[in-house]
Amino acid sequence: MAEVSYWMGSEKYLCDPELAQAFHMSRTLGMPLLIEGEPGTGKTELPIHYAKDKDLDLEVYPVGSKSNVEQFVARFDHVKYLRDSQVEILNAQREEKGLTGRLSTGDRNPEVLGDYVVKGPAAKAYSKPNSVLLIDEIDKAPREFPNDLLYALSHRKFVMPESGEVIAASEEEMPAIIITSNREQELPTAFKGRCIYHYIHFPDKETMAKIIEKHHPDLEENVVRTALDIFYHLRRLGLERAPTTREILNWLKYMRDIAPEEALKKIEGLAGIGALIKTQTDMERVSRMIGAGNSFGPSYN
Amino acid sequence: MLESLPSAFRKHGLHTDVRTLLLLRKSMQQGLIKTLGDLHNVLKAIVVKAHTDIGPFTKAYYEFFLYIPMAPGQTLEDAILRSETFQKWKMDHVEEADKDLTDTDLVTTFLDQVHLTRYDIQEVVSGKEIWDGDNPDQEDEDADENSTETERLLTKMADYSDVSLEELLERMKRVRDQQKTKHEGGSHWIGTGGTSPYGHGGAAKNGIRVEGQGGGKLARKVLNDPNYFPIDRDATLSDDNMDAALSSIKGVIEESATEKLNVPLTIQSGLKRGGLFIPELSSETNEQMKIIVLIDNGGYSMAPYVRTVRALFKKMRTRFAQDLEVCYFHNTIYNKVYTDDRRTKPLPIQKLLLYDKSYRVFIIGDAAMAPYELDSQSITNLKAIQAKFKKTVWLNPEPIAYWAHTYTIQAIKELISMFPLTPHGIERAVRYMNSQHVSE
Repeated sequence: MAEVSYWMGSEKYLCDPELAQAFHMSRTLGMPLLIEGEPGTGKTELPIHYAKDKDLDLEVYPVGSKSNVEQFVARFDHVKYLRDSQVEILNAQREEKGLTGRLSTGDRNPEVLGDYVVKGPAAKAYSKPNSVLLIDEIDKAPREFPNDLLYALSHRKFVMPESGEVIAASEEEMPAIIITSNREQELPTAFKGRCIYHYIHFPDKETMAKIIEKHHPDLEENVVRTALDIFYHLRRLGLERAPTTREILNWLKYMRDIAPEEALKKIEGLAGIGALIKTQTDMERVSRMIGAGNSFGPSYN
Repeated sequence: MLESLPSAFRKHGLHTDVRTLLLLRKSMQQGLIKTLGDLHNVLKAIVVKAHTDIGPFTKAYYEFFLYIPMAPGQTLEDAILRSETFQKWKMDHVEEADKDLTDTDLVTTFLDQVHLTRYDIQEVVSGKEIWDGDNPDQEDEDADENSTETERLLTKMADYSDVSLEELLERMKRVRDQQKTKHEGGSHWIGTGGTSPYGHGGAAKNGIRVEGQGGGKLARKVLNDPNYFPIDRDATLSDDNMDAALSSIKGVIEESATEKLNVPLTIQSGLKRGGLFIPELSSETNEQMKIIVLIDNGGYSMAPYVRTVRALFKKMRTRFAQDLEVCYFHNTIYNKVYTDDRRTKPLPIQKLLLYDKSYRVFIIGDAAMAPYELDSQSITNLKAIQAKFKKTVWLNPEPIAYWAHTYTIQAIKELISMFPLTPHGIERAVRYMNSQHVSE
């Protein structure tokens, strides 16, 4: 039976109930979960922590501008196949000439086509029951990639190239598929129709405090509170690139090793604000508006 | 009622069809829907396909299932307070002791109950179990009261897992019809025989504060935040819809991912192997973005758009460092354009025409001028640009309704394909460009 228990997050990962519910739903219905949201809100972290927490196999496919379905499912290694068949001929020739040394083809046998099928993350995930498959940043893919995935997503079946082997997962053993996107391009409607969609809202102060608690449990409460005040203030300024969860976690990581009083001072003096602000124009804006002045960048006074 | 769900949601610009209903039914069979809150969340996961759908969805949901219609600009709280559904709920579920609660508190309670999901109930139950397990000796009367209260809460939850979708909707319809006839003192409100899907109104008082996920809180937030509503793709380009425009304009980047035979490398490594030639493949990407932007920055009519247009293309440049030429002109293109916005550095049109023909040309201007300004020289030049660069479009910030009344717009439109300067218009322009093929 598929892993369909309701997962609420782990020690390291705070899964908000709405997301937990959408995730549960996607697994129960055997549909992929498409997660969107601001960068740095933990989209990619969900499957990673879920797999770790439940001790399941995780297959990751990071999508890039060169992604194609072959890489994702499986491809036939023509080059190796050609090489091995050439090697066979070469070996025969050498034998004729009475030479002893043979060139090796590894464990591969050119007679067995399956030896030359290089399985991608999808084929691997589908051949293991109840695994977790992460397709990261699908919006970075060439336009035809999501459309090519449609067949696989709706039929739960892949046919291996050349060898014709069929890898299929029953509805019960479907891997949990998580797809993340940053909305850099619009996904085809037909594709989205086959997914359960969830948009991660940016966490409010309370939730953020809980998230920080999970990552840096040893931080003093007032340090976190002060940092959060500044953080949400910065987000309200309407910067070109507003700081996100990832950024505040990094910032506090830097504060972690400092004594609380000192850290408090540093936070108020906006030390190490470079962890939060990522562009020059934003930096100028912040300095103009809250007068961070000369405390830019990590200052080690 | 069942059949009307897709069309009712479609009115809010959402994509719903028979598949929505099939999925809903499947979720029901899998036991995913037990309360109204579940119905909201499941339907949301099925229907919503972009974060800009969340706003319209929330509206549609309240209107369709709770019969709380929302007028434009009305807040959720106001809509709830004015609805009969709420009045009815208040009569049936609010006890004497709570009479002095403010409207805001009441709405909050109402929302909490409407959005109560079966997950919340499970949490409450497991929370109680843990508590019982931890303090077996300290269990006193209070605790007993608590546990009975929990059970009451659970038995009072309408369990929809055995009910079919049609039945559920039918039941809701009945109640809805009933609510339309005022004050028909029925003993139930959605759900029969005392099983209200909203839990018990008094539950919160007795220590089982159902710690909901704030579905109601979220609904409030969503309806007050324009981020969750689709931007008007037919509005003239501005800072607000710049990102939408950017995503449509990105279609001009021609991307391809192909593997090609690398001949030199194959020969080289083949020679090293002593004549055993194994094809060497190398992946090749062509990202092409060759763009010329010609902006009309003369005259007051264009002033508001120049900055936005420049920001748009600047954003594009930072994301894809490619060939992007920006030139300026006034009203129409005579024998030269200018490479600076103060129009002091001229670039003869002949030089512009020397660019590779695979460049895409965006001309941005309102094309409104005195008819004599559009002289034969200008027309010749526009024709020359169109002839050289097959992928040329004119983007016009002027509302499309006025186009027919301006002579020069009509004239230029005949020469160069013209689209409105809106995210939607840009998208169509890009699609038009992509359909033009530049011969090698």
